[in-house]
Amino acid sequence: MTDFIQLLVGGVLTGSIYALIALGFSLVYRVTGVINLAQGAFCILAALTCHSLQAELGWPVWAASLGGIAMTVAAGAITGALTFVPGLSRLSNANMLMMAAGLLTMAEGGILVLWGSQPYALPPFSGNRPVEIAGILVPTQGLWVVGTTLLTIACLWYLLARTRLGRALRACAENPAAARLMGIDVPRMTLLAFTLAAFIGAVAGVVIAPATSLQFDTGRLFTISGFVAVAIGGIASFPGSILGGLLLGLVNHFATAYVSSLFSNAIALGLLLVVLVWRPSGLVGAGVTRRQDVREEARVWKHVVRLKPPVAWITAGIALVGAALLPTVLPEGAILSSLVIAGILFIALLGLDILMGYAGQVSLGQAGFMAIGGYTAAWLAVEHDVAPLLGVLAGMALSLVCALVLSVVTLRLRGLYLALATLAFGLLVDSFAIGFSDITGGPSGLVGIPSFAVGGFEFDTPLSMYYLVLVLDAVLVLLFAGAIRASFGRALQAIRTDQMAAAALGVDVVKCKLTAFAISAMLASLSGSLYAFFFHFLSPEMVGTARSLELVAMLVIGGEGTLVGPLLGGILLTMMPAVFQPLASYKTFFSGALLVLCFLRLPEGLFGGAVAGLGRLFRSRQAPPALVGEGMAP
Amino acid sequence: MNGTTATAALSVANLDRSFGGLRATSDVSFDVAEGTITALIGPNGAGKTTLFNLITNIIRPNAGKVLFHGHNITGVTPARIAAMGLVRTFQTARVFPGMTVLENVLVGRHRLLHAGTLAQMLWLPHTRREERNLAAQAEALLDAVGLASYRDTHAVDLPMGAQKLLEVIRALMAKPRLLLLDEPAAGLNDSETEELAALLRAIRETGITVLVVEHNMSLVMNVADQVVVLEAGAVIARGRPDEVQRNPRVIEAYLGSDATTQDFDAQDSDAEEARP
Ligand SMILES: Nc1ncnc2c1ncn2[C@@H]1O[C@H](COP(=O)(O)OP(=O)(O)OP(=O)(O)O)[C@@H](O)[C@H]1O
Ligand SMILES: [Mg+2]
Repeated sequence: MTDFIQLLVGGVLTGSIYALIALGFSLVYRVTGVINLAQGAFCILAALTCHSLQAELGWPVWAASLGGIAMTVAAGAITGALTFVPGLSRLSNANMLMMAAGLLTMAEGGILVLWGSQPYALPPFSGNRPVEIAGILVPTQGLWVVGTTLLTIACLWYLLARTRLGRALRACAENPAAARLMGIDVPRMTLLAFTLAAFIGAVAGVVIAPATSLQFDTGRLFTISGFVAVAIGGIASFPGSILGGLLLGLVNHFATAYVSSLFSNAIALGLLLVVLVWRPSGLVGAGVTRRQDVREEARVWKHVVRLKPPVAWITAGIALVGAALLPTVLPEGAILSSLVIAGILFIALLGLDILMGYAGQVSLGQAGFMAIGGYTAAWLAVEHDVAPLLGVLAGMALSLVCALVLSVVTLRLRGLYLALATLAFGLLVDSFAIGFSDITGGPSGLVGIPSFAVGGFEFDTPLSMYYLVLVLDAVLVLLFAGAIRASFGRALQAIRTDQMAAAALGVDVVKCKLTAFAISAMLASLSGSLYAFFFHFLSPEMVGTARSLELVAMLVIGGEGTLVGPLLGGILLTMMPAVFQPLASYKTFFSGALLVLCFLRLPEGLFGGAVAGLGRLFRSRQAPPALVGEGMAP
Repeated sequence: MNGTTATAALSVANLDRSFGGLRATSDVSFDVAEGTITALIGPNGAGKTTLFNLITNIIRPNAGKVLFHGHNITGVTPARIAAMGLVRTFQTARVFPGMTVLENVLVGRHRLLHAGTLAQMLWLPHTRREERNLAAQAEALLDAVGLASYRDTHAVDLPMGAQKLLEVIRALMAKPRLLLLDEPAAGLNDSETEELAALLRAIRETGITVLVVEHNMSLVMNVADQVVVLEAGAVIARGRPDEVQRNPRVIEAYLGSDATTQDFDAQDSDAEEARP
């Protein structure tokens, strides 16, 4: 019995932190409609700053804590003002979500640069000796956690319910358009909400720091836990977020104790998927129903990127010949290998572009399919001597099955819930990859994977892989270009922005989404298999959430919805560390920063920018007439 | 016009829908005869758009049913309804952002294309031929409404009125049997409205039945075979345009008492279309 209560106490303590992070999510979501994935970054940033102030400047705990919080809030306010608020006025919600993912990556990369990858531990606020309350041992830090959580909730409640500022915030949350008409400065309120969320995150980070080990990527874990918590509880409701956080903490603790720590994440994610199917908007609903017939504000910031067919063919031909000749001038080495990797990742990127760039379905779990493809093909080859080609096909088939099963969940979901479900899927695969160590080799990875081979020919040098990947990429681009330029591509683009209008024209939205999802899963799987064969090694982190986020960054930087653009993003991010060795540790930071920058400055990506440049070069004299249309405008 | 023969193209029976305490449509019934143009008019907030949403099942009715050429389509999904040949446009033009004008029009034909995705991926000749024919038809339609020179323009860059025209021809590409148009003339100037009237008549010539919500009375009086007047969610009058125009209840609903029919035009309203 005391065991049980002990677990209960532990669950509530962890749950309080999840609840705080969830509260930050909910606050920003209610005011902006966007999930700020960078929420967890605030926690880790505050905690590490606090550590440095203590360890290096010798500040006392309380001063260091306040200093950490203050600096994080300042960083949050600046980031918000420079990225989040300007982004809101022109990016769609799906793109905002990805930009937030970019902010998270950027923060992670920045922390990696400043603090390195080693773990840090902070001393508890008031000693290591737990206090005993009615026979239950409670670590003193736990009291700090619960106390801080309660205090923060109380302050937040007071702010929102009792002050003018809070009323303005709530007005923005309920109806931004109406709030604007009432004379409320919505962008300022948005910034306030963002900063407030940074504050809540920082507080959570500082109080939990002594109870966990801190590392550059801990922020991602905080984000994920908080995200899962709000999704379970109901993001549009503060009590729901708190409930979700507590529930998640309890589930984690009990699952670890009674099942296995390896699968406690899997169980939490399973719970999430059940909730998503059963009550997509969480356990505690919002109480506000949106009008169905009104178009969600379609912010258009991108330009249409289209190459004229002859120009496209000529450019493609030149690029192909150039790529074929490239190895003759390149030394066989790191650069060639990076190109092979970029080419392999491009296969996954093609699928992601179809799913996200064309059909507008956010996926943050694409690496999950890479893992399925990679582990299936590698395990079959290593343990059962199955021919690599068969292994690749088996992986693709398995991915297809998983994608269809996942669709049962995701088809009903849109936007952020879809992103969440795919993220959960990626994490689930990840935790299986770590947990099923008999098959996958566990955290340390699967070794001794043979080279890819077809009918006796082994692709065992980077050069042979280069040509294999080149041919494969070219064929895939050709195939998908055929479908994208015809009705398939048009239907995807139509459902991207307006599912209802597409349905009203008879477009089968469900079928389109399913097809796009299946294609993206199979391509990611193929990419994952080749990846494993090329490295002769596969570990969970090679195909984990960081990879999923990197794929998103590559896609956006290269140019989503352009089919070949992502290759540029892939090459840029893969080559950077190979070409400039000293930059290797900055890679994560740059990929996040570039992603954010692209959304704000170059929404068509590198490829779109290049095409616009080409267009200016080839500008024909018969430009379309200017759009004056006197009297046509209402 | 003889609406009593055969089955009606559209028959709405006792449609009811409330939003919270607001009864947006109450017990609405009317028929639309095949091959005619029926205008649905009424003051702002009368429930016209709601009625369209109920017919196309974007919003579920609380009670009542909708028959389309005799088939009960109550509860059928919007996409299936469209596939049966009942296609609508929206009050706020909903062109697809990120696509050119031509591509937008081509989406209209989506459900009628034969080429499968696999055939398109393989660049098979018949899919390319189908695409070419389709583009030619789309361009002819664009030409008919004077948008041909904008075919490669980003659709959302068009002025509002042009976007609404684009939506109409996109719907036409779907080869509908019944076309529901929600305020197609909003944002058009007088001469463009004339062209729209001609377009509507041409559509009727091809045998397509039209149900149109419109505030522009001269357009309504010009083209409609039947007018249905809605006020506060209920049908208050229906009949030929000249009958309705003389109906005292209608005049009162629109202008209060003591008004002349000439003042109808003053009611042209697209103010609610205001967009940021
Ligand atoms: N989904 C909805 N949720 C809540 N209220 C709604 C919804 N749809 C319509 N209404 C309300 O129903 C009433 C009728 O609206 P509707 O849009 O059908 O009017 P309308 O006749 O099309 O007016 P207008 O000429 O301004 O377009 C309005 O009061 C509107 O606010
Ligand atoms: Mg209306």
